[in-house]
Amino acid sequence: MNSRGYLQISFAWIFAIIVGVFILILAIYATTKFIGSEETTLSAKTGKEVGILLNPLETSFESAQVTFFTMPVETRIYNKCDDFGEFGKQIIQISQKSFNRWTETDIDVSFENKYIFSDKEAEGKKFYVFSKPFEFPFKVADLMYIIPSAKKYCFVNPPVEIEEEIDNLNQDNLLLEEDCSNNDIKICFGSGNCEINVNYNGKYVEKDDGRIYFEGDTLMYAGIFADKDVYECQLIRLMKRTKNLALIYRDKSIFVSRIGCYSDLNLLALSNSAGNLKGSDDLSSINNIVEEIEGENEFANCKLW
Amino acid sequence: MNLQIVSYGKKGQLKIQQMAFMLMAVTLFFVMVGMFLLVLMFSQLRESASLLEEKNALLLVTKLANSPEFSCGEAFGSNRINCVDADKVMMLKGNMEEYSGFWGVAKIEIRKIYPDNENVLCDGGNYDNCGVIEILSKNVNMLPPSSNYISLCRKDSYEDEIYDKCELALLMVSSEDKT
Repeated sequence: MNSRGYLQISFAWIFAIIVGVFILILAIYATTKFIGSEETTLSAKTGKEVGILLNPLETSFESAQVTFFTMPVETRIYNKCDDFGEFGKQIIQISQKSFNRWTETDIDVSFENKYIFSDKEAEGKKFYVFSKPFEFPFKVADLMYIIPSAKKYCFVNPPVEIEEEIDNLNQDNLLLEEDCSNNDIKICFGSGNCEINVNYNGKYVEKDDGRIYFEGDTLMYAGIFADKDVYECQLIRLMKRTKNLALIYRDKSIFVSRIGCYSDLNLLALSNSAGNLKGSDDLSSINNIVEEIEGENEFANCKLW
Repeated sequence: MNLQIVSYGKKGQLKIQQMAFMLMAVTLFFVMVGMFLLVLMFSQLRESASLLEEKNALLLVTKLANSPEFSCGEAFGSNRINCVDADKVMMLKGNMEEYSGFWGVAKIEIRKIYPDNENVLCDGGNYDNCGVIEILSKNVNMLPPSSNYISLCRKDSYEDEIYDKCELALLMVSSEDKT
């Protein structure tokens, strides 16, 4: 009788326990979801803020400028690029360290007017942003190179103009040969066996993930600091903007001709070639048109840009 | 004996019913608190989205004049800061379908300050005597505009002589109000 009494639990208790457990599970589930959505919101907000903070880096006279931003916690910036559409999209995803684990994120923050060159996944707390205008032959955009401060690049035997630029930038993680240490990523110009090799005259950069071609120093830096996939996609986006700008300049040349301001530049050819670019190995063929147009605009009756 | 058992069962049923109602009330209370928190969270989210849009417009307007679609470059002599090429902007205005989402803002316009042509909208015909170049205007609720002074330059001619004409203007950028 005693042993039966010991096991006796009334229906009310069973009911209360079941419903109580159900409520507790529901509360834990809701809290977890709430924390998850807060993390996602924070990632999206940070991504948008990073993009917005890049606005002041638009250059005017400067040949380059550098700044940095510091995150409150260890952060991963995922650099994604989409070349679909009229201008393509720069996509940023942010993941931050919280309770010793990386927050999961699938929120894409996109910008049509930004061109970020970095590794697909840049990790750190402090990031340097170095920006430089890209002209082809008119100014097309300002390219942003995002580099975590912990990642140091060492320039070995660069041409004089590159050496001067790196020296003037005074960016802590871009070093010249005399300041380098063994752990730095070495960038060799000409001969050498480094992680990154630049053939300045042949206009290409060779890395683990393959070879990319460039025209001008702005794209050379892009090739050095970005992964091949990011570089190739951003190059297509830049050429899409070149195409649209060439059409605007062509319309402008027709518009100003009404007051006798003539400039006969082959902008349609540039627009077509830029719009059809498939990869960096096509760049040299477009560069011939660019050089021709650049010379013609320089000596035109009315300069278009 | 039988009566006693029936009476005990009814009491028990009543207790269970009371507890069920109590549990439902507690659950409902927490659901309502949760919903209130969600509404609060979403309104804060909308507010911070609008704040970010406003910040974007503020930072964008200071540099927009120097962006390739607007800047004078060397078309009017040497490179100048905050100089907008009016001829180019008029052509951009004609190609705005492609650029509608490009800067992520709802409205971009240039308002001449001197000479003041009031609110006369510029087009190809009245280009010389107009006051406002409306480059982008989306049909959405907008936040108050952020603005920046610029010099608005164009090519003009007088007795077959081509010259550069520059006027003082205000570049205004508004972002969408998401609240």
